[in-house]
Amino acid sequence: MRKYLSIFRISFAQEFAYRANFIMWRIRNVMQIFLVFFLWDAVFTDPNRLVFGYDRSKILTYVFSLLLIKSIVLSTRTIDVAGEIARGELTNYLLKPINYFRYWFTRDLSTKLLNLLFAIFETSILVVLLRPPLFLQNDPYILGLFLISLALAVVLYFLILLIFSLFPFWYPEQGWGALFILFIFTEFAGGGLFPLDILPQALQKGLYLTPFPYLLFMPLQIYLGKLGVLGAFKALTVSAAWVGLLTVMLRKLWSLGLKAYRAEGR
Amino acid sequence: MQRAVLVDRLVKDFEVTQKEPGLVGSVSSIFSPKKKQIHALRGVSFSVMPGELVGFIGPNGAGKTTTLKILSGLLYPTSGLSQVLGFDPWERKPQYLKQISLVMGQKNQLWWDLPAVETFELNRAIYEIPKRQYRQTLDELVTLLDVGKLLKTQVRRLSLGQRMRMELIASLLHRPQVLFLDEPTIGLDILGQEKIRDFIYDYNRKFEATILLTSHNMEDLINLSRRVIVINEGRIIFDGALDELVNRFAKKKIITVYLSKEIDMKQMEHIGKVRKVQFPQVVLSVPRSTAAVAASEILQNFPVGDLTIEEESIEEIIGKVFKGESPIRTKSK
Repeated sequence: MRKYLSIFRISFAQEFAYRANFIMWRIRNVMQIFLVFFLWDAVFTDPNRLVFGYDRSKILTYVFSLLLIKSIVLSTRTIDVAGEIARGELTNYLLKPINYFRYWFTRDLSTKLLNLLFAIFETSILVVLLRPPLFLQNDPYILGLFLISLALAVVLYFLILLIFSLFPFWYPEQGWGALFILFIFTEFAGGGLFPLDILPQALQKGLYLTPFPYLLFMPLQIYLGKLGVLGAFKALTVSAAWVGLLTVMLRKLWSLGLKAYRAEGR
Repeated sequence: MQRAVLVDRLVKDFEVTQKEPGLVGSVSSIFSPKKKQIHALRGVSFSVMPGELVGFIGPNGAGKTTTLKILSGLLYPTSGLSQVLGFDPWERKPQYLKQISLVMGQKNQLWWDLPAVETFELNRAIYEIPKRQYRQTLDELVTLLDVGKLLKTQVRRLSLGQRMRMELIASLLHRPQVLFLDEPTIGLDILGQEKIRDFIYDYNRKFEATILLTSHNMEDLINLSRRVIVINEGRIIFDGALDELVNRFAKKKIITVYLSKEIDMKQMEHIGKVRKVQFPQVVLSVPRSTAAVAASEILQNFPVGDLTIEEESIEEIIGKVFKGESPIRTKSK
């Protein structure tokens, strides 16, 4: 376990080596929230108006919480894996007595912590500036379920990213295409742009069978109390099932990938 | 004594996609990729005793690096046996990985934007090296390689030679019993090469480590390894002492003549290949078998002041090995 603590520490130090990069990335996040905030603020000029089951305070809570949830779920270093495999840098890790998945999960945790700290700071400033009416969940039971759903979302995104990152084992020069599709899907189907329950019923039903809504949308729905306890449990079950399925898939693909690995490059 | 490395009839095939040049080739390769089998290793067998330092030589693409990669558990062998310290490398058991190291001259494991000492600390944790042992090893390595002042410098600001020395330290902190070195002196200047070479020699002696080394640098081989394995097109064509290699691969002898009078060089060309003319000195290379005859012919027909017959230099011979020339007697081992 100690070794992963050291990885956490050095990874954190490394983030500071890329200060400018990091700050740009945070600015991008804040800009996004601004945009979405003003869009919804315009729709809900009348505070009593109800659109798609959302009133002004709930939609604005959704938008704001996205900033925090995204920093927890979507901030990651695992996106480097595809490149490492393609360039043959994976070799460095295979030579060491270390679990590659745990290594990256640890690095993810460190970047998540850093991003979360910044997101909390930014949210506080935005809240003071924009003074949105926020909805605070105070049911401890629901808050507990929310935290579990968040933890599952973190694992789920990690698994999805890794699976998509294994393509270069077979096609070393084509690693990025798969990831781009994934990012677009995550934003849209994960609920990063708008709450998914404003979509047509049929489309929603289909989406809920994929793992994506369990990344951002479902945890937030649980927080907002829109699912109820039973609905929350249902969401957690599907999410956990995906985690199980993707874990098995990742293991299988990884062992196949290693056999195809050429350890070349540079 | 148990063997440190045991390789038996090792085979590794790769499948590569080939692409015709140009746009048309690119498009057609998407729809009907042409696959080609490459036989990197075609049944390689050898063994290495603990504490031995063995040099692998052969032309580019001969299979040297492939062998090292299989032994360090990176590549999955198509068939055959490979065993190091009693472990199957492919299983990559932690107990195994803690006893080996692979250093590749063109790869780096150091964190680019942090000082090297950070990577060392990380490796200490990863290899679970006790703190006191870590301190002691680090001090030793830092002194041997003379990089004490650079430990806290960002890796990106180090020169290639300095970085290579740091890479070595990072790879050796856990004091591996078996060391695979792939082109450790590539790209370094003469002084840098010498430092690394001295160090490898010291490490081998001090820790009685088994070392397998590939290099294109003749100096590396001449100075370091007493035993060499020559590999070409995936097969071992020679395995033995460096001196013996010379006997096997030297096809020519060198005759140096000091003339007492200038002559027409055309006549000399009938006897052997004229390599250098710098009056009064003429250097010829002649087939080994006819060297004596050639020498007596020169003595009879030319105004000779002095004459010597020598073996080809070891550099020349290794150079031929790199070009893929085969030994005189291809006696299978």
